[in-house]
Amino acid sequence: MDTSPHLARPHWMSLLAQADPAELVQAMGAFAPPADTAWLRPAQTGLYMLRGRVGGTGPQFNFGEVTVTRCSVQAGGHIGHAWVRGSDTRHAELAALADAMLQDADRHASLRMQVVEPLRRALDCRRDEASRKAAASKVEFFTVVRGE
Amino acid sequence: MMLAAFANPVFDSQSNFRELLQAMARPAVPRTLPVLPPAPAPAAPAAMAIVLTLCDATTSVWLQQPEDEVVRHLRFHAGLKLADRPQDADFALITNPASMPPLDAFACGDMRYPDRSASLIIQLAAINPVAAGGAGNTFAGPGIRDTETVAIDGLPADFWQQRAALAALLPLGIDLFFVAGQQVLALPRTTRLLEG
Repeated sequence: MDTSPHLARPHWMSLLAQADPAELVQAMGAFAPPADTAWLRPAQTGLYMLRGRVGGTGPQFNFGEVTVTRCSVQAGGHIGHAWVRGSDTRHAELAALADAMLQDADRHASLRMQVVEPLRRALDCRRDEASRKAAASKVEFFTVVRGE
Repeated sequence: MMLAAFANPVFDSQSNFRELLQAMARPAVPRTLPVLPPAPAPAAPAAMAIVLTLCDATTSVWLQQPEDEVVRHLRFHAGLKLADRPQDADFALITNPASMPPLDAFACGDMRYPDRSASLIIQLAAINPVAAGGAGNTFAGPGIRDTETVAIDGLPADFWQQRAALAALLPLGIDLFFVAGQQVLALPRTTRLLEG
């Protein structure tokens, strides 16, 4: 994992976006929004076109559309943004709020301890479980060597 | 810091769009915009309402006073392109009409595409209705039954001469929106100013 400071924000934004909404609600429960919180862009749901390349190198094609909810908030003198897959507006709002509060030096440490780290552990756990499940169902094909 | 835009982006811009359409259909009659968003100075809320309603990433806007805060606000909320020169702009936001560039500095469209012309949003201190017989600007043209009289002040001295010169280019020309407070008044290129 790259922990250089200029990648810290993309990293936590990505974690917040991929978090399980229920876990994010629970983790953010302890943090009240600052008094000056203003919603610059209320949570709104739309579609993004995903594009892909066959084999990662072929010509581009439109893979399909994905539902995305975005939100921007200004809190404590910082602007937080969130783009979240799905149409859960509460998820987008909390992710944007957490992004704004994580940019605040005073709040950063406690949010990192109580929100970002638990979400990262939960995500690692889910990934690990999924890869175990996939590995368990792996089928090995052996070529039967015939009549030498 | 940054301000919010429309609280309900879809419905607010739709109701403003309806009013702008009506203002263009009935030129020289002041109408009231139903929803005004917050706007950073020097942009007025009514001018910001028009820009947020009509402009997006496919339109370019020229700002007479490109203050950092206005530029950031428009880029974030409308995602629009800013034009460096008046002649490249689809829309122009005139915040200080007394020192605005001449009208022929803006795009008038070309004969095959007269719609590729600029629309100017001009901020005024006030748009005053004129009582019968009072002094004001009298307009006639499509969408006006006989004549409409309204007082439009604060423009450069030769503004109406410049506009009359453009009338010879029809169907090319420039469309104008004047805003003051919550009011908007439209002067499409077909509306003529009648001499005194």
